[in-house]
This record gives sequence, structure tokens and C-alpha cells, in this order.
Amino acid sequence: MPKQSGRRDFLRKSMAALGGLAVSGGGLAACANKAQAQQMQGQLLGPSFKAGHLLRKGITVEPTEVEEQEVVIVGGGASGLAAARWLKKHSAKKILLLELESETGGNAAAGKNGHTAYPWGAHYLPLPNNSFTELLEFLQETNVITGFDGEGLPNYNEYYLCFDPEERLYIHNYWQEGLVPHWGVPEADQQQIARFQQLMEELKQAQGKDGKFAFDIPLGHSSADVQYRDLDKLTMLEWLQQQELTSEYLHWYVDYCCRDDFGSSIAHTSAWAGIHYFAARKARAANSESHRVLTWPEGNNWLVQRLRESCADSIRTNAMVYRVGEQEGKVVIDYMDLRTQQYKRLLAKQCVMATPQFVNQRLLSALPALLDSRNLRKFNYAPWLVANLTLKDVPRSKGFGLSWDNVIYGSKSLGYVYANHQQVALFPEKKTITFYHALADEAPAAARGKAYGSSYDTWKEFVLQELEKAHPSLREQVEQLDVWVWGHGMIRPTPGFIWGQDREMANMPYADKVYFAHTDLSGISVFEEAFYQGVTAARQLLSSKLA
Amino acid sequence: MAKDSLLLMRINVKALLLFSVFVVATCGLVYELVAGTLASYLLGDSVTQFSTIIGVYLFSMGIGSYLSKFFNRNLIAWFIQIEVLVAVVGGLSSSILFLLFNQVASFRIVLYMLVSLTGILVGLEIPLIMRILEDRFEFKDLVSKVFTFDYIGALLASVVFPLLLVPYLGLLRTSFFFGLMNAGVALWLCFFFSKEISWTRYLKTTCMLAIALLVAGFILSDRIMSFAESMAYADKIVYSVQSPYQRVVLTKNEHELRLFLNGNLQFSSADEYRYHEALVHPGLNAVPNPRQVLVLGGGDGLAVREILRYPGVEKVTLVDLDPEVTKIFKSHASLVALNQESLLSEKVEVINADAFQWLRENRKQFDFVVIDFPDPSNYSIGKLYSNVFYRLLENTLTPEGKVVIQATSPFVAPKSYWCVVNTLQSCGFSTLPYHAHVPSFGDWGFVLAQRKTNWQLNPDYPKELKFVDAASFAQMAVFPKDMPRVETEVNKLNNQVLVHYFEEEWAQFVN
Repeated sequence: MPKQSGRRDFLRKSMAALGGLAVSGGGLAACANKAQAQQMQGQLLGPSFKAGHLLRKGITVEPTEVEEQEVVIVGGGASGLAAARWLKKHSAKKILLLELESETGGNAAAGKNGHTAYPWGAHYLPLPNNSFTELLEFLQETNVITGFDGEGLPNYNEYYLCFDPEERLYIHNYWQEGLVPHWGVPEADQQQIARFQQLMEELKQAQGKDGKFAFDIPLGHSSADVQYRDLDKLTMLEWLQQQELTSEYLHWYVDYCCRDDFGSSIAHTSAWAGIHYFAARKARAANSESHRVLTWPEGNNWLVQRLRESCADSIRTNAMVYRVGEQEGKVVIDYMDLRTQQYKRLLAKQCVMATPQFVNQRLLSALPALLDSRNLRKFNYAPWLVANLTLKDVPRSKGFGLSWDNVIYGSKSLGYVYANHQQVALFPEKKTITFYHALADEAPAAARGKAYGSSYDTWKEFVLQELEKAHPSLREQVEQLDVWVWGHGMIRPTPGFIWGQDREMANMPYADKVYFAHTDLSGISVFEEAFYQGVTAARQLLSSKLA
Repeated sequence: MAKDSLLLMRINVKALLLFSVFVVATCGLVYELVAGTLASYLLGDSVTQFSTIIGVYLFSMGIGSYLSKFFNRNLIAWFIQIEVLVAVVGGLSSSILFLLFNQVASFRIVLYMLVSLTGILVGLEIPLIMRILEDRFEFKDLVSKVFTFDYIGALLASVVFPLLLVPYLGLLRTSFFFGLMNAGVALWLCFFFSKEISWTRYLKTTCMLAIALLVAGFILSDRIMSFAESMAYADKIVYSVQSPYQRVVLTKNEHELRLFLNGNLQFSSADEYRYHEALVHPGLNAVPNPRQVLVLGGGDGLAVREILRYPGVEKVTLVDLDPEVTKIFKSHASLVALNQESLLSEKVEVINADAFQWLRENRKQFDFVVIDFPDPSNYSIGKLYSNVFYRLLENTLTPEGKVVIQATSPFVAPKSYWCVVNTLQSCGFSTLPYHAHVPSFGDWGFVLAQRKTNWQLNPDYPKELKFVDAASFAQMAVFPKDMPRVETEVNKLNNQVLVHYFEEEWAQFVN
């Protein structure tokens, strides 16, 4: 018996000792977690939810304060600003631009920390096609193009051309240079990828019977030849299958590109749009390869700031337009000043609606004749999630070094962009990366519900887990992690949408008074289209009978 | 003390043996974790390192278990003997690995041999102890107890290792500490079983020796660590510091001082005069009445020393990123002697800033600019050799001004060298390429550039120079037949071709 108690005693003591250690260890772990939680700060951001909610509820107030204006532009995203710039430049019209948010810029929003600016949305501009003279002219005005060489090819400002190294892909536990998968990719797949690239090169040069390029930017300049336009009836996935392009690696890559540019997967993207991504851009530059991009630490916010400067004196922010109607031959624009909570009315000769069609659906309810002629519910939008992380350092892993665009193979997210990339300093004190994710796996409305319904902590965990696929020790580097949810991030070019009637009808001006400009009217959400939409609406307005 | 040891002696034999199972298990796992962590530190890629080390370790334990059947007598004595061996091998493992990392051709072989040896020894212990306890427990009890303690030990190790040991003790001390635990248990067992086992005195002595060795190692851990680092260098380290940007190491032997940044030789005091005379004088000597001089990089003050030979120079502005470098070249006695107190001169202003950013914001003009950056071995430094950077020089130079650039070896890396020349020319500069022999570096290249097209050099060099004069410069400007000019692209921020050339050419040279 004494033996027994001896052993039990020993066991008890050793258990107690172990327990003590476990408790102290646990305590320590808890401290560490707490320290980490204190260290990592962040918040959930996004476009004005409150205003959106108010709009959906519907406001019926008849404002008493009335003001006369010549031209009113509703919406201060890239297309609204581009329209304003064009009108300022090519007419003496008095214009007023109304913007709901406290700053103009739309999806090209940006933020700033003590070390760098960073994008909250659109973040680069591919070198524009040389035939897109309106855009080239703007880029020259803003010193993005510094001159032209003997052949007339533009010289781009090398501070804005994306620095090398541009892209890398994490695949098979290794960072390869470039985004097209090749590291550890079987020969048969590589051949399919090469065949796909060859096809895209051919389509880049392809012209329709009308002599126009099959795929061009602005998209409206593309050929009307049915041989090409009929591709809009297929999904990108169906087209790949028709071409007997079945490689899993290729499908991932094309799917990544569609998510990145359209916010929708290859199974939901029109083949015409999918091919357009690869075949529309044929820029030629004096000092750069054709496929390069222009970018800034703050992304395309740099571009919209330049647009804004061209019309800064004609902008009213925090102005929530809630109704656009017609009265005695004039356009009536009712809005609420969100700062003073006052309701105001503008009477304009003409108006440009630079707002997305899901908003127009509500704003234009006072113009039933207009609304009845178009089917705005056919416009659907992909929700997006963007996160900005401030890091002590980007953890190193095997392979190619940190690049501007860093993508993880197999992930449904779009990887991250290194915001400090365009800084010339050798050793930025802190590094900021911008993580992008298009919620493309569910129907947009369901995805949107989820996007708005999820808490900051849920999103934070999601972002960290996605990035940990390539950087297992990332968490300890993070000092700040902010998340931005775009409910209506970009228009989705589903099959039949780009060359269908709904889009065509929605582009039509109304009674020489109301003009429309928004990327959703192009069917793809890129800066070039936004810019062209603004220019086109401004030109239509200036050539109308009223003008 | 006496009371304590009496108490200890009374503890049940079985409990003691189970406790040693617990210690063995804890220590065994700790050694494995130390090896994994160390391999990840030194070799990178933690997933691969941990997986292979755990695999090798477990497999070796299997070998140990197999070998246990060959031990038939004196089990307790053998158990103690093995315990001492585990203590020594495990305890010394991390120091051995650190010390050998730079010395052996195949570090992985040493690593896996040590891991297997530890694994085999630990693998031997559990079967042995089960057989020792065989008669004292019923079989099912025996198996349940031994494995319970084995796994509890493993849990303890895996919890305390990341939370307490690595942060508070560091890897070297952790190994020594657990070696001591193993040796302590062995010694305890020696005393406990002194009547039952043979070779008691021998065993006690080896235990004591092992403990002495491990205590010494534990105390000297820091010295072992710095010694391991110093073995990477041929000479004695007289100063080393880790700045936010790089590791700065200064070594000394009877003849020379050498400065290393991140392990790369920056200069040797034996022949640095050749490099710095060749860098500064051909250009500066040719500028009529130089007053304002700018040095980018070159925080060692050696180029500044050469510049100060011109009494007409009113001010030298030195822009170097790393305050740690400029600090030691202002304060360390042998270095101040070497640069002849140049950085302490009233004419010299030291600015610790990023050169690209500084130059972009600078509005002042200079008569002569010296660019002495590290070689373009990565994309960060490659920016400092781009056309965009060189264009900033246009507004920085006075009309008569000149700039000189260190441009790596035209012999080893001709594309890299001529890429610098071509990039300068693409920005509208007229260039004068030349090269000099610096024994520590080999054949080294420089490029002079100016806005005017005609080159007028001054044949009267300062008298006190040891290397450069008109005759030797005439030779420097000649590129012999085996070093012809090669065609290259222009280095731009958006192509960084120079980094690609440099990597390619130096990799070939090293292999």
C-alpha cells in the first residue's frame, strides 16, 4: 500500500507540475494573442451605406430651395469627371457635378498611411491603344505621356510605367516570375497554354468585314462583324471547350483574368468579353513593351485626381441625388446635402447621369417613359472585397522576389498588389499590400448579402488565410488590416449582355436633355471605358439641338 | 540539502524510471524542434525542413528500437550510458550546426547525421526502460504508463519550446539546458542504482564530465554564437553591427582592415587607395575650379578623403542611407585613421537618406558627383542605376560638371558594365569609360559622364597620389582586346535589365 500511495503521489505531483506549466504556457499564449490583437488594428470600410439605405427607402420631399444650372452631372466617378473635363474644355457651359461621397473618384478610391498611399479599388491603366486619341491627349496633359518619338509613338513617364519586377505567381510552393503558370506545369498543359496565347495573338490582329478590329478599346470601336460578335452568346468556358483547350492550368489562368477584370468566373463571363481582355490591347510605345501598365501607389485615384483638377470649381460633394425628373422643359434634380441635411432642387437645361444603372432605376422613377424603354434590371454587378495591410515586412519565400502584382495559383482570390512598388526609395520603412477578391462564386445578390452581412473579424480572418497560403508567417507582420466592401464592385459581362439590346437601349439619351455615362453601359468596368463614356456623353450633349 | 536528497532517495524506483521516460521524451522532442528551427533559419523553407527532420528523427527512433534487442545485460547501466550520450549529442547539436554551417560543403549531411544519431539514441531508450520495468509492472500497466509519460513529455516540449525556450533562452542555450536535464537524470540514476549496477564509477565520472561540458556551453553560448559568425570571415572581427539595412562587419589582420556589408567585401585597407584614387581623381581633376561636390553612397569617407585633397572644394555633401556606416567611420579609431578624419571635416555634411529620394528633391547644383553604390545585385539597388535616376543628374550638375559612377567589373560582367555606359548615353550624357586593377576586387570599372561632348582632362594630378597620374590614366581608358564594348539594352525602372545581366554574369563567374 505505501508503494501505491507513493506512485499516486508522484503522479499527482507530476500532473500538477505539468498543469502548472500548461496554465503558465496558456497564460503566456493568451498574452501573446492579446499582444498580437492589440498590435493588429483595422476597420471595415465601404461606400456610403447610409445613403444607399435612404435611397432604397425612397425620399419624397419636395425641396423649396431651387437653383438654376446649365448642365448638371450626377455622379463623380471616372466617367462623370471625364464628362465634366470634356465640357469644360470644349464649351463655355456652366456645369455642376454632384457627388454622393465626400470625395469624387468612384471605384478609384484610395487611402493613405504614414508611409504610402494605397488603392481601395481600380489600380492600374494598361497602355492605351494609340487610336484612342482622346485618352492619349489627357495623358499628355497630365505628363503621363512626356512626348512622341519620330514615329509618333508616345514616350511614357517612367515613374508611372510599372517598375520591374511586375508580376509573380505562387505555384507548387514556389514564386515564379510572371502570371502565366509554368513552374512545374506538365508539358501537355504548357502546349495548350502556348496554343491559347497564339490564338489570342491572332485575334488581337483580327479584323471584321467592316475593316475594324474584332476587339478594340474603347469597346464601341470593335467590329460589328457577327463572326466575332456571336462570341458574346457563349461563355468563356464554352469557348475554351470548343477550342479543345481543357488544361486545368490554362482554365485557372483565364478564370483568374476574368475574375480580375470582370468579377465573374469563366463559367459566367461572355466569351467575347473574355477574349477582349486578351485581344483588345495593342498599344505601341516608344519606351515600353506593349503589354505594360501605368500605375501609381494610390492606383487610379491618381488619374481621377487629375480629372478632378480640370473641373474642381464645379463640384459639390456630399450631395445625395434622390430624384431626377422633368418640369417645363427642364431637368429637375432633387438632392439632399448630407452635411446640412437640407433638401435642394436644381433646374438644369441638360443633365448627364454618370451613375450606375441600378441607381438610375431608382433616381429616374419620375420619368416612367424613360424607364419603360429600358430594362435596367438586366445590369448586374459583382461585389468586391479589398483589404489593405500594413506590414513590418513582406515575408520572404522561395523563388522570385516581391513584385508589383503577386498572385497565388489555385486561390479564388486575386492576390495582392504591393503599394510601395512605385516608390523610388530602396527600403520603405513599412510595406503596404492591397488584397483583392471578387465574390464571383455565388449569384451577385446572395454574394452581396454575405459581403455586407459579414463582420470585420470574419473578413480579416478570410484575408489572412488567403495570404497565408503563400506566406505562412504573415500574421505576425501585420500592423494594420482594413477591409473595404464594394457591394456593386463592377458590371458583369454575362453572355449576351455586351452586344444585347438592354445595354444598347440604356445608352440612349433622353429627349436631348438627359445623357448617360457609366462603365456599366460599356459592359466592362475599366478606366478606359469610363473615360470614353464621359467623353461620348459630353459630345452628344454638345451636339444636341438644344445646344 | 541532506534532507532533500534523503527524500529523493525514498522515491519509488518505478516512479523514478517513469520520470526519466518523461525527461527523455521531452528532451528528445526538444532536440528535434531545435534541429528543425535551426535548419529553417539557416536553409530557409521551414515546411521542407520541419517535415524532413521529423521524418528522419522518427525513422531513426525506429532504428534505435530495433537495435535495442541487441542489449541483453546490464540494462540499467546501458540506459544511463545512453542517457549521457543523448545529453552530449543533443546538448551540443545546435552549437555544432551553427559552427559548421559555413565550414562544410554539405551542411545537410551533418544536419541529418546529428538528427539520426539523436533519434537512434532516444529510440533505444524507451524499449530499454520498458524491459527494465518489465518485472515491476503488469504488461498492460507497463505499456500504458510508459507511453503516457512519453506523450506527456512530447506535449510539454512542444508547448514550452515556442513559448518559453526560443524567446527566453535561444536555440543554443535551449539545447544545453535539455542536455543538462538528460545528464542530470543519468547522474541521479547512477546514485539511485549504485548498488545494482556495474561500472558505477565510470558512469558517474562520464555523467559529471558531461554536466561540466554542458554547463560550460550554456554559459558560453553567446561567445559560441559570435565565434560561429566570425568563422565566415578569414580574419578577426573587430566590429560588427546589424543596421536596419545591412550587417556591417569590420575585420582586421596584421596587414589590413576589411569592411563587409552583408558579407560582401567593400574594401581592404591594403589597396583601397587604388579604388578611391581611380574613382575620384580623373574626373574631379578635370573640373575647372570645383567648389561643390556630392557623394552618393560611399559612407566610408574614403572617396571624401580624396576629394578633400583639392583645397578649392568648399563643401562635400555625402548622402548615405545607413547611419551605422557613417557613424563608425566617424568614430572607430582605425577607420578614422584610414579616411583621415574626412567625415569629421568642417567642409563635409553627412546626410543619412535614400539617395534616389534625396536627389529627386534636391535643387542644388554640384561641380562633381561621385556615385559609389553597391553593385546592382537586386531590384532595389538596380533602381539607382536606371535612366530615370541618371536623368535626375542633369539638373544636379553645373554646366561644366562631371559625374563618376562605379560600375562593377568590365572583365567579369561586361554586359553589366556597358549597360551602365549605354544607359548614361541614352540620357544624353557623353561618357568616358575606364577601368583599373584593384587586387582585392580584380579589374574594376568606372564611368565618367558629362553634358558636353569633348573631354579635356588635366594631366597634373595632386602629387601625393600613390596610383593615379596622367600616364596610368591613359592606360585605364584603354580596353584591351579581351574586354571589348558589348551591346546592351538601356536599364529602365520598367525592365531592370541590369539586375538580370549582373545576376547572370556573376553567377557564371562564381561557378
